[in-house]
Formats: sequence, C-alpha cells, structure tokens
Amino acid sequence: MNGAYMPESQRSTHPIVQLQDVSRIYTLGKNRIYALKGVSIAIKEGDFVTIMGSSGSGKSTLLNMIGCLDLPTSGRVKVNNVDLSKLDDDGLTAIRRNNIGFIFQQFNLIPTLTAIENVEIPMIFNGESPRKRRKKALMMLKKADLPLEYARHKPNEMSGGQQQRVAIARALANRPPILLADEPTGNLDTKTGHNIMKLLEELNSSGTTVIVVTHDPELENYSHTTIRIQDGEIIG
Amino acid sequence: MRYELFIALRHIKARKRQTILSIAAIGIAVMILMVSQSFMAGFTQELYDKTVDNLPHVVVSPQEGEEYIHLYKNIVNKINNIDGVIASSPYLTGEASFKFRDNTKNAVIKGIIPQQEDAVAHTEKDIIKGDYNGLTYSERSIIVGDKFAEDMELEIGDNVEVSFPNANPVSLKVIAIYDTGTPLDESLTYVSLSTAQDFYDTEDVINGISLRIDDFNRDREIAQIIEDNGYNAAGWTENNPEILRTIAIETVSNNVTLGFILLIASFGVVSTLNMVVMGKVKEIGILLAMGATKSNIRFIFLVESGILGLAGAVFGTAAGVALALSIGSYPLPEDIYGLEAIPVLVRVKDVMAIITIVFLLNLIAGIYPAQRAAGLDPVEAISTR
Repeated sequence: MNGAYMPESQRSTHPIVQLQDVSRIYTLGKNRIYALKGVSIAIKEGDFVTIMGSSGSGKSTLLNMIGCLDLPTSGRVKVNNVDLSKLDDDGLTAIRRNNIGFIFQQFNLIPTLTAIENVEIPMIFNGESPRKRRKKALMMLKKADLPLEYARHKPNEMSGGQQQRVAIARALANRPPILLADEPTGNLDTKTGHNIMKLLEELNSSGTTVIVVTHDPELENYSHTTIRIQDGEIIG
Repeated sequence: MRYELFIALRHIKARKRQTILSIAAIGIAVMILMVSQSFMAGFTQELYDKTVDNLPHVVVSPQEGEEYIHLYKNIVNKINNIDGVIASSPYLTGEASFKFRDNTKNAVIKGIIPQQEDAVAHTEKDIIKGDYNGLTYSERSIIVGDKFAEDMELEIGDNVEVSFPNANPVSLKVIAIYDTGTPLDESLTYVSLSTAQDFYDTEDVINGISLRIDDFNRDREIAQIIEDNGYNAAGWTENNPEILRTIAIETVSNNVTLGFILLIASFGVVSTLNMVVMGKVKEIGILLAMGATKSNIRFIFLVESGILGLAGAVFGTAAGVALALSIGSYPLPEDIYGLEAIPVLVRVKDVMAIITIVFLLNLIAGIYPAQRAAGLDPVEAISTR
C-alpha cells in the first residue's frame, strides 16, 4: 500500500479530491484483477494535475473514481468533502452533475445533436431554462474558442480540434470546480493538442481544478503536479 | 419541451429507415386491427339490425296457469312507465288453418295494434306490397309474408279462409305482403287485435306484450323489473340465446386474432428498441457522465417507444379506416349475399380505443429495453466503441 501522495500546490490547502487507501478489483472468472491497489492521493482546489501512466496502469480507473462514475471495492473517495460511499445512484449523479466536467479522448459528443445542443445537455439536467442555457452554451463555446458559425453543426461536420472544443465547452457548462480530461489530446495533431492544453491552462488559472490523465510526457509541462501510476499503484 | 422527449425525437429522426420500418410494422398491424374491428362491428350491427332490431326486446306473457292477460290496458300503462321502455305492443296470437282455392297451410296468426307493433318491431318497413296501416281501419283483413303468399298463390285483394278448432271461421282479405328475409315470411300473419279476438272468440284479452327498450342490452334487467311487479317476462337474450351465442363466438374469435396481431406488433417494438439500446450504449454512458439519472435514461426510451407506438397507431388507424370504408363501399350482388355491400361500421370509440391500447402496449413493450438502457454501467458504456 502506498502512503498518501500530496501534490505540491501553492494555490490552496483545501483538498477538493481525496482518495484514502482505494482499491478497485475486477473479477474475471476466477481471477481477481487489481486495477487500483491502495491508492491514497489528495488534490488541492485549483491545482492542475497530470496523472501519468502507461496503458493499463489504472489511470483511467482512477479518473473514473474521481469522476464518480465508478466506486472503489475498498477505501474511501471524497469529492468536495462528500464521501461517495455514502451516496446512492442519484446522489452520485448529483455530485457528478454539479462538481465535475468530463473531457474524453474520443470527444464523446452525441452525434445526433448540434454543437450547441451538446453543450446544453448538462445544463438541461441541472434544470436551466431553455433561454438561459442557450445563452450560456454560446458563452461556453466562445470561451472554448469555437467559431460560433459551428454552433449549429453536428459533430461529423467538424474537425477533431473543433469537436474537442465543443467537448470542453460542454464540460464547462455547469461551471464545475473540477475538470477531468482523459487523454484530451490523444486524437489531435500536435498544434491542436497544444492549443487545447493552453485552453485548459487558462481555465485552471481562472480557478478550475484540472486533472488530466495521459501517457504523453509532453503534457506534464502544462501541469503543476504530476502523479505517476503503474500497475494500479502510485509510484510518484 | 422535456429533455427526454427532445433526445427521443432526435434518436427517431437520426435513424429514418429503422423508424419508418418500426412505424410501418405497428401501422400495418393496427390497420388490420382497424379493418377487422370495423368489419366485426359492421357484421354485428347487421346481425342486430336483421334480428334483434326486429324482435321484441322483452316479451310479457300470461302468469303461470293463465291462458290470457286480462285488463291488459292497465298493465301496458304500468309497463310504459318503466324507465327504459320506449314502446309496447299488446297482441293475441295463436295457430290457424288457411285455405285459398286448393291451397291450405297452417300458420301463426297475430292480432296486433299496427302502430304499436311497428313501434316495437319495425314491421311496416318490411311491407313490400299493400298498406300496413290498412289493418287499423279495415276489419277482416290480413297481412301475410311473401313466402306464405307464394305458397298459397295469394295476391293483394284475395280472400283467404281462416279456421281452427274452437275458433270462428272467417274470410280475411289480403291487404299487404311483407318480406323480412327470415322463416317468419312463411309462418306468421298479422290481423288487427279485435279481429284475432273475434276469431278466437275471446273477450278483450291478449296473450302477450312485446316491448322495445332504449338499450337492448338491458333486456334482462327490464324483464326482471316486470317480473318483480308480478308478471312473466323474458328478454330477447333469454328467448333467442342462439343470436347472443353467435355474436359472442364471433367477438371472442375476432378478439383473440386481434390480440395476436397486437402482440406481434409489440414484439416488433421491443426488438427495434433493443437494437436502438445496443446502438446507443456509448451515448447512454455519455449522458450518465453528463449528469443524467437512470430514470432520465429510462424515460428517454419509454418516450421513444411511446412515440413509435402513437405514430404507428395513428397512421395504422387512418389507413385502416380508409381501407375499411373503401371495402365497405364495394357493391355486392344482393341476390347472392343478401347484402348490398360488406357491412362496415367505423366507430369513434373503436378508433380511440385502438389508438389508446396500441399506445399503452408500446409503452409496456418499451419497459424492458428502457430498463436495460438505465441499467448500463456508465464506465463500460463510455468505453464501448
């Protein structure tokens, strides 16, 4: 088991994400596979963290735990001081909706919706009125640097970079304090990838805690803190 | 517009071909259902028109051990005051022997008050020759069925000799001929009530009262009310159980067939929606990650199922009504089938019932795929390629 890893962040002393001795075990037939093994980390509010690890190291599982998409087999996860183990499905959904924005490698936009409709989705679940959410969605698209003529385009009518900007705008829709990005530049060319990371940097400088999972060492340069994971264990 | 409806509509719009096929599958089933229901309603109505409509809905007969009903006018007045009774017709009926030239025949003679009998059994509309109301003002006159007239070689104006043991023989002039298309046409004749009383040599008595009621389904209820007042009474369903049995058998067999058609259509929706869920796994995962609850996801697929069902039901019903009406307007050779056209009856209540039932069945059919979608693990769903 690893001891608690405390990222060196000068921005805040308040941990917004805490994992205490977290393990995640998958059962495959008679085999028990440890995706995470005794992981303890604390991420401070306003930090920019990269979680580095090779494929299969457990970094995506770690991100899913922080994102309230998955629960640990043992150990405790706290997001914004809420212990996830005490929540039911709807409670987890509420935490996810109000605290976390997701950015995926594959963009994961809904193909049947336009860019602006994709951005509106989290706001709809949050009960925003149609007029207010349309206005906010346009603002978010602008913030994510997407030319507004693409607002009514569907994902298949946009480039990878443009799609990722829509995904970022969507992740920001409910102004979550935590932004989780799973290989956000994995499907982009170097220049576009750099632009996206600059955007995440800007968002972080305005107070959002950004957690990026990647195996690309280049992305370390944008973060304040790096967590390395290997075979489900934190190694540095 | 609720979000779930918005997403469901987008799903439907995005897979046009699948949507058209699903709606067509439901629509065809509903169309068959509608046509079949219209035929059944039409045939049932025709059966009622040809039988029950011409029958007395309730018949009052003499009390046990009595041959006649005495002081019948008071009883008729009492019965007319029962809620639901719209007409009554006192009658005196019995057997008689008829002779015209060398032709003889035994048949039933029924003494009636023509207007009252018509109000109960719509007798006047069956007259094909002569004057029905002639019975009112012309004593010693008779109305016979067309088969009876044919067998006896009778024409309007002919005098037929009528006799029977213990009766006063009389010569009656044929003033009208009727045709109901039933066996009554050769076995039942009409005379005025006073003629019958003279013939059977009775006082002013009758041996039955026919009643017409506003809803023929209440025949047993009204018969019971009359019995509770001390008279013998029986409804048409009791006197003619074979009609009811025919209708019941037709209805049951038709409903079973229709149920199977609906079941097939509903399975079509289940399989379509299951395929949609399989194709939307990743999207469901994304929605869950974006803050959708499991009930949001469940509702999306239920709404989708409901929309497909409603669209199929509306299109199917419209097509079914159009098809039924066009089949119903096709002329049939009446001499062969006894019908001018296939009887079709499109009732608003049937249309509404079919649309509602199909819609509800599709909602029920949507529960399984909706549950399946809501039960997906978000992590696995998102990582689906």
